[in-house]
Parts: sequence; C-alpha cells; structure tokens
Amino acid sequence: MFQNRSSFGVRILVATITIAVLGLTPTSAASGKPQRIISLSPSATETLFAIGAGSQVIAVDDLSNFPTNAPISKLSAFSPNVEALLNYKPDLIILNADATKAIEVKAALEKLNIKVFLEKAPKDLSQVYLEITALGRATDNLASAQTVVTTMKGKIRAAIKSGRQAKKISFFHELDNTLYTATSDTFIGKVYKDFNLTNVADPAASADSAGYPQLQSEYLIKSNPRIIFLSDAQYGESLATLMKRPGWNGISAVSKKSVIALPEDIPSRWGPRLVDFYEFIAAAIGKIK
Amino acid sequence: MIKVEDLNVRFGQKEILKDINVEIEHSKWTCLVGPNGAGKTTFLKALLGSQSYSGSITDSGAEVYGNHDRNVAFVPQQPQIPIGMSVSEYVMLGRSKRDGWGNESKKSRTLVADILKLTGLFGMLNQFVSQLSGGEMQRALIARALAQEPTLILLDEPTSALDLHHQIAVLNNIELLKERGVTIVSTMHDITLAAMYAEKIVVMREGKVLLSGTSDFVIHSPELQVAFENRISVFTLDSGRPVIVAKKDLSN
Amino acid sequence: MKKLGSESVISPIWNWKITAASFSLLIFVVFLAISFGPVHLEFQKIIRTLFGLPGGLTGQERTLLIDLRLPRALLAVIVGAALATSGAVYQTVFRNPLADPYLLGAAAGAGLGATIAITSAGADLYSLLPIFSFFGAILAVLVSFFISGKFFAEPNSLLLSGIAVGSFATAVQTYLQQRNSSSLRPVYSWILGELTVANWQKVTWSSIYIFIALTILITVSKQLDGLMLTDEEAYSLGINPNRLRVIAVIAATLATATAVSASGLIGFVGIVVPHLVRGITHRVTNRGLLTIALVGASFLVLADLGARTLLSPAELPIGVITAFVGAPFFLVVLRKKRLVAK
Repeated sequence: MFQNRSSFGVRILVATITIAVLGLTPTSAASGKPQRIISLSPSATETLFAIGAGSQVIAVDDLSNFPTNAPISKLSAFSPNVEALLNYKPDLIILNADATKAIEVKAALEKLNIKVFLEKAPKDLSQVYLEITALGRATDNLASAQTVVTTMKGKIRAAIKSGRQAKKISFFHELDNTLYTATSDTFIGKVYKDFNLTNVADPAASADSAGYPQLQSEYLIKSNPRIIFLSDAQYGESLATLMKRPGWNGISAVSKKSVIALPEDIPSRWGPRLVDFYEFIAAAIGKIK
Repeated sequence: MIKVEDLNVRFGQKEILKDINVEIEHSKWTCLVGPNGAGKTTFLKALLGSQSYSGSITDSGAEVYGNHDRNVAFVPQQPQIPIGMSVSEYVMLGRSKRDGWGNESKKSRTLVADILKLTGLFGMLNQFVSQLSGGEMQRALIARALAQEPTLILLDEPTSALDLHHQIAVLNNIELLKERGVTIVSTMHDITLAAMYAEKIVVMREGKVLLSGTSDFVIHSPELQVAFENRISVFTLDSGRPVIVAKKDLSN
Repeated sequence: MKKLGSESVISPIWNWKITAASFSLLIFVVFLAISFGPVHLEFQKIIRTLFGLPGGLTGQERTLLIDLRLPRALLAVIVGAALATSGAVYQTVFRNPLADPYLLGAAAGAGLGATIAITSAGADLYSLLPIFSFFGAILAVLVSFFISGKFFAEPNSLLLSGIAVGSFATAVQTYLQQRNSSSLRPVYSWILGELTVANWQKVTWSSIYIFIALTILITVSKQLDGLMLTDEEAYSLGINPNRLRVIAVIAATLATATAVSASGLIGFVGIVVPHLVRGITHRVTNRGLLTIALVGASFLVLADLGARTLLSPAELPIGVITAFVGAPFFLVVLRKKRLVAK
C-alpha cells in the first residue's frame, strides 16, 4: 500500500511536470507566436512595430512607409496576390478588409493553411484601441499592445484637453480642389469632433453614405469656416492658391490666415501616430486663439 | 402552275397589293413590269413565301407561305454583302438548300466551280465579295441562285447594274434554266428586255394588276400605256422585236 | 486554306484540322498557365498530381495547384470561350464587324447590377454580386428588345435601343457611386475584370450556363451563315431568320451575362478573337464558331498568365492586358482584311 501511494504520487508528479512543460513550450507556429508576419495594411504596420512585433514581420505592403525600417516590398495592399504571398512562406497575414475580394483572398489563404487577420477600418477611437489590442493578441504581444493603448489614451486625452475650446469653431476639411470633404460620419470627422469643432460639411452628410460629399463653392463661402485643413497640400494647395479662388478672400479662415496644411499620411493612419494627429490639431487650434 | 387568287398584302394601314389574280406557268418566264411603287417587289416576296398575305398563292396546289418544301431562289435588288467572305464561299451558300447547311458535297464543289466559270467569276474566286463591282456582284448573285438548282427563281431587277453585253449574257444564262424546268419570275424596269425574254408579262400599277398575258399582247395593249401614264412609246424593229422607250416630250 | 480551288473543284469551305489544332493549343496553354506563377512548382510533379499518380505535390503546393491555379485557368477557359463566341454571333446577327458581346446594354446592365449589390449592403451582399450582375445584364438586353418594338425585324433598331439602355444604366450607376463613394474602388476593379480569386464553385456554375449557351450556338452555327444575307435570301435557303436571330441572341446573351458575373467586364476578347480566327482561316463561315470558342479560351488563359506574372507580385487587371494585346492585333487584322476602305 505504501508502494501504491508513492507510485501514485510519482504519476501525479510526472503528469504535472508534463503539463507544465507542454504549457510552457510553444507547440507550433499556428497556435503560438507567429514569426513570419506579412502586413498588408499601412496602419497595421505602424501598430505592429509599436507593440513590439516588428521582429516578427518579414514583409509589408508597398504603401507601408512607416516606420522606415519596415521591410517594404512590392506586395499590394489593395490587390493582394495570393500566390505571391505564398512565396514568402508566412504564418500570419494582416489583410485589409477593404482590399479587393478580401473575403475570397482570406478563404484561399486559409485553405493554404495560412492564418489571416482581417483588419477592418476602425470607425472611431474606441475601435482603434480594440484593433490595436486585437493585433497584440494575434501576434502574441498582448501586454505590450495594452501598454501602447493606455499611453495613447493618455496623450490623446491631454491633446483634446489642451485644444478643445468652449466656443464652437467652424472648419472645413478639404480633400481636393473640387471641394470633396469629410463629414463627421468619417473617422477623421470624429477626430475633429472630439475638439468640439463644427464641420461645415455636415449639412451635406446625406449626399454620400461613406461621408465624403462634394460641396458647392457658393455654400462653402457662405458657411465661412474659421479654419481650413488642407489634405491636398501635397498636391500644391496652400493659403496662396486658396486666395486666388474667386470669392474665397472673404472666408475668415483665408482672411485670418488660418489655413493649415495637414501632414501627409498621418491623418489616414489610425495606428499609434494618431496621437501625433491629435496633437497637431490641438496646436493648430491653439494658434488661432 | 402557280395560282394567285385574291391576293392582298397590307403593311399596317397601307395596302400594298390589292385583289391580285394571276396564273404563272411553270417552266416559263414571267416578268412583272410597272412604275415604282407598283408593288412588284412585294409580289415577289409573297411568291417566295416569306411575306404574309390574305388570299391564296398556291404552287402545284400547296400554299406557299412558310412552305420550305419548295426550292425557291431569290435574287434581291440590293443584297446584303457579307464582309470578308470570298466569292466562292458566297456562291457555295446556294448549295445549302440541296446539301443542308455546312455540308458541301464534292458534287457541289464541282458544280460551283462550273457555275463560276459560266458567269465569268472563276478568276475572282478568292476575292472578297465586298470588293466586287456592281456588275460582278450581280453576276455573283445569279451564280448563287444557279448553284441552288431551284425549281422557281425570283429576280428583282437582275440587270439594273450591268453593262449592255453583260445584261444579255446573264439573261441568256437565266433563260437556259427554262430547259431544266425552272420557273422564272422577274421584275424589270427595262421593258424592252422583258419583251425579249419573258413569255408572259404582268403589268402592275399601285398594287393592282392591270393586265397579264403574252408579251406581244401586253406590249401593244392600252393598259401598258395607262400603267406608265402614257409616257412611253412602243416601236417595232424590222426583226419584229419591240422596243419600248420613254417619250422625250413629257406633255401628254 | 488560302487558295480556294484550282481547275475544276472548289476546295472545302472548312478544314476541321484547324479546329483540332486550336483544341491542342488550348490544352498546351492551360498546362502552361498552371505551371507558372510566383511560386515555383516542379513540372513533373504537376503532371503526376493531375493524373493522380504517386509522387505528386503535397500539402500547400498541392492546394495551390488544385484550388488556386487550376480553377483560375479553367475560369479563363470558360469565360474566354463565352466572350469570343458571343462576340462572333453578335457580329453575324447584326451584320456588324464591330459588334461585341456587350452590345445591347449588357455591360452597362451588369455594371449597374454589380454597383447595386456593392452599395446595398457592403460585404454581406458581396456573395450575391454575381447574381445581381447576371440579372442586370439580362434585364438590360430584355429592355432593349422591348424598346425597339419589333422582335427583330430591324437589327439596327435593336442596336440603337441597346445604346440607349446602356447609357441610361451607366448614368444610374454613376449616380449610385457618387452617393456611395466607398463603392468606387470595388466597382472599378470589377469593371476592369478579374479572374483573381476563382474557385471551384464559380467554375462549376459558370461552366453549366456557358456550356448550355455554347452548345445551342454551335448547333445552329451552320445556319447562322444565312443571317449574313437579306431575310428573303435567307428564307429562300431554308432559314427562318427571325427565329434564328432570337435563338442566337438569347444564347449569346446568356453566355455573356454568365461570363460577366463570373469575372467582371473583360473587353476585347469578344471583338478581336472572331476576327483573328477569320483572318487566319480566310473564312467567315460560322462553322468556325467552335474554333473561335477554343481560341478565345486560349487567348484569355494567356492574358491571365500575363496578368499574374508580368508585374509580379502585383496583379495587372486582365482588362488591361486584353486591351494592350487586342487593340494592335485588331488593327493588323482589319488592315489585312481590308475592312477599312480600299
């Protein structure tokens, strides 16, 4: 009986050790930490490197220009080529849900036993945090991702606090010189809204379900925005060109010279650099006080 | 015998052919004459069987409308000219009635070669039909009709684009068909030629038949004059051949 | 087949060796297509896998061959055959060498259907996209028939109403896209045509419809020659021209609508391939329809191969390749056939 108990104890010990060893050992790439990640989304790329997954990334799409040390390739974010992806022998692919035939590409990749993380464009700030956390989970960098989120929350809160004014300031966000704009339904529109800014495009919200209507010149002049944000500065638009537009000299943003050129890329990336965007807006508002 | 009884053809409200009663004899050449708008072409289409009508047209007792048991060749005044088709391919189309579509027998291919030689088109057999002159095109049409080996051949202005000696050559070739028992019905502007070749002439005006009978009878009849509003003169050559010309002085 | 006859016998109008040759070409081209791509697969192993012999591809490579490359090549075969054949049929029926399968508003109707699908409910309705574009194409053609009034007495009036219907459908489509700017990208890429993610499901349903349509067309192909003449001439040769035109257009439209719903709008195949075959064989007889189908299939398979490999790893839209290749070819053939005024 003494022998039975001790052999029983031995068995328990062996079982415990086995379970402990199994639990601590990464079993296969599919269920452990992905080591060969391809990112087909510029925003996801920025996030991956910020949450410490950079060393796991083997290739990023041709538009992922930040951070500069990311392994940029010729892969397309919007027209993914399944076979080309296969050639890299990845174990995880971050796929943009807006890519052409994203669902079918995902199905094809999964048939080839490659894990796919379908990244949907976040509609607001809370979804951004969720996406970053999800990416952290998918790449086994959860703790690091959560830290990034917490930091972002803090900095953004601070930026909003410093930039937000009690009185409402009206603004116009220009996408191109034919006056396409973004309403408060869009992600970028919500950023502006956080600062209690009034978007002159909102009355036109019903014109486009995605939130990018085209405004009439007459209407814009009449609505007289106090700030104009230029998303097309990289295409040559500036205060000088705006002043040349007929009737625009009367707009307070133009006459008071609060025409702000937005930096390239940052407004369209929802990763960690979102903080930079918030701080940029806060500073812009600060200048017109 | 082709019997036409109380034939009426209407396009919507408009009456094109009114109460036509004629008989067309087999193995003979009948020619329809009359001014423009008389309904000659429509009459030909009715005889073909593709034009609906009220009344009756029977060929050897069988109603002709929709009747594909007959072998009728139709030579239109203005054909559709297929682009990119060679002359021999075009004439070979005529054999589809006998051989079925897409199955030219060796016999057919020999026959077509002979017909091309007969109509003087053999040298052009690889040329595109679209490149033929007006006269050559008309000969190609006749060649295709000949290739069909029809029992009835309907010709709408078969010689209008041909020069004088070709006119005679083509009409002579058509005339030979009578020996094989082919019935010929044609429309012709040139009444002189009609008189030369047709045994029977049908005079039409505004959808009605004014007179039908042997060439001699019709040529010298008052109805012919009425059909052309007394603007034609009939002369007879020493050989007995009638010549019909338009009057120069158009005042009646 | 250049010279037609010497001395006393005209040589046969159609040489079936040409059809056999185009079939062999197709087989060869398909093998080519499944053998090439960004991932290198050993040719021997490909053969073994296809014939079920031991020693073939395994795992991911096998999936790549069987579930990716093969359905994509087969889809190109089916769509290429459909477009080329219906283009040829339309050219005959409308007696117009510039006719293409998208006449009668089919392209615009399909585009409108696709846009409605894409703008209605985003990703959810995406799987219904083929159905919407299919019915869009069919409906547009039906409306063209309806507007032109007579069921065909005048092929040209049908052509004109097709243009009217097409313009209207395009206008509605543009309006919808303006109101839903997020649809711009998906609709644009659909319009360019894509065989990018073919799968066996798509291959199955599209091949059923297209097979039916092509069988009908090839069965009546010999008689279609009669439609190149006036109605009376055709009638005299034993054809019912109106009925034949209706059958031909219905079958050709079915083929086109299916092709478009499977792969978007791929241009030039339907207009170039028929002329290519006619130019090489020096025949315009519709007995060539089967050959045209086979050559159309080969053409699209090769074009797709180019789309996959030329700018690898990016995909060139296949519509761009067919245009780049098709347009110059077309000019050459036109000049040779002297369709341009002499």
